Amino acid sequence: MNKFFYNIRKYFKYAIRSAKAELKSEVADSYLNWLWWIIEPFCFMLIYTFVFGVVFPNNTPYFASFVFIGLTAWEFFNRMITGSVKLIINNRDLVTKVYIPKYILLLAKSFTYLFKMGISLIITFLLMIYQGVPITWHLVFFIPILMVLYIISFGAGMILMHYGVTLNDLGNLTNIGLRMVFYLSGIFYNITERLGTKNPQLCYFLLRANPIAFCMNELRKCMLYNKIPSFEGLIFWLIIGLVLCSIGIHVIHKNENSYAKVI
Amino acid sequence: MTKKMNKKVKKSKKNIAVSVKDLYISYRGLKKTSIRASWKHLGDKVEVFDALKGVSFEIEEGKILGIIGQNGAGKSTMLRAIAGIFSPDKGSIDLHGHSISLLSIGVGFNKKLTGKENIYLSGMLLGFSEEEIAAKEKEIIDFADIGDFIKRPVKTYSSGMYSKLAFAITAILETDIMLIDEVLSVGDVKFKEKSYNKMKELISDERRTVIIVSHSLGTIKELCDEVLWLEKGEVVMMGTADEVIPEYEKFMGVVSTQEEA
Repeated sequence: MNKFFYNIRKYFKYAIRSAKAELKSEVADSYLNWLWWIIEPFCFMLIYTFVFGVVFPNNTPYFASFVFIGLTAWEFFNRMITGSVKLIINNRDLVTKVYIPKYILLLAKSFTYLFKMGISLIITFLLMIYQGVPITWHLVFFIPILMVLYIISFGAGMILMHYGVTLNDLGNLTNIGLRMVFYLSGIFYNITERLGTKNPQLCYFLLRANPIAFCMNELRKCMLYNKIPSFEGLIFWLIIGLVLCSIGIHVIHKNENSYAKVI
Repeated sequence: MTKKMNKKVKKSKKNIAVSVKDLYISYRGLKKTSIRASWKHLGDKVEVFDALKGVSFEIEEGKILGIIGQNGAGKSTMLRAIAGIFSPDKGSIDLHGHSISLLSIGVGFNKKLTGKENIYLSGMLLGFSEEEIAAKEKEIIDFADIGDFIKRPVKTYSSGMYSKLAFAITAILETDIMLIDEVLSVGDVKFKEKSYNKMKELISDERRTVIIVSHSLGTIKELCDEVLWLEKGEVVMMGTADEVIPEYEKFMGVVSTQEEA
């Protein structure tokens, strides 16, 4: 574990630089340049609020903000999982030529995703102001909630990164898994409203057994509805996240030297 | 500390830079597979390919070692193991605290970014700090000698310019031990000469230890103090260039006539 923190300290600057480089190169030769980082999530927001506000109307207050908070959290998780599966193979040149602790690659990737999540959050805040959501100090709870989400994604990402090296079709499997999580997390619907009265047990289960649904629900509680998040839930998922991270670190330390031989 | 070092110096006259002891490296275990295939092959015996079978040698600080051998003899595997890209399955590699780099071209380059930004990316990957690179940045740019292109994205470079920049980065950011896989011939004639001279200068530095893998016996003869001959993962001979190369040539001659017959 000490080795992990030593490596993080040693390569932290590289990770930041590499993340910046990737972000820059993403927009380097498009006309609108960095504006895409704003245009893209903004347009998605318009589409989603139209479809789920006008086509499938419902009673949830501040529905557009509701959807957008869900999407912000979901996009981050989705990118982390999808990105980590092929991470080592996509960095073949690097992995076969120099030694670098492999989770640094994931760390650098996660910084680019964090950046995008930051933009998406800013848009959400603007939208909340536009919709007249009462803004209170409960809003600051979004920080610990997103930290828990980050730790869970990072841990899961490290484990998938390892198996992604040897299992060619892991990507297909994670796609199915992600699609399932996507629909079960209640990004476009309010789980409590849909299932709360009809099937309370299922509703309880969905909101607690799925870290993404849990994080979204807590984010909405503190950002939109002026409530305090469930601390037991947060601590529970934090512990799970830390366990995932330590498994991931262990697996990678044990195997990372062999990756260069396989790819 | 100094006492200890003195003792060592007395014992072997010079400090050892790299000691490789009984090195075994095999390719196995992690094999690329799909989920379906891994199900089918559950319980199968995994194939093991031994790339190195018990290689041991030592190099003194400041010496230049050439490694020769046929394709598949384990030369590149050895270099990569010494560079720490993968770890030995058995045996040990001790660098005695020296810094090391595998001279490889264009590691971590991002083609959409400018040359300057890539100097930092690549340099930091090789284990240098931002400040160290900043201190040498000018030297690298001067050596690469690609003019204004340093401020343009790398993807606009000709392949020669690309290699020039890449070589400049690895050549100017020096480490105690350098590993060179195949002698580099990059750029135009002028740059080739310059890089060859730079290489010689780097190599002839008293304190720098160099390991070169090459098929060009001429280069090995000219540059190396010692030569290690590998064959199918085992050491056949180690000694001065004058001792080993004639034997190797004899051996290769036998092989090629056999093939002809």
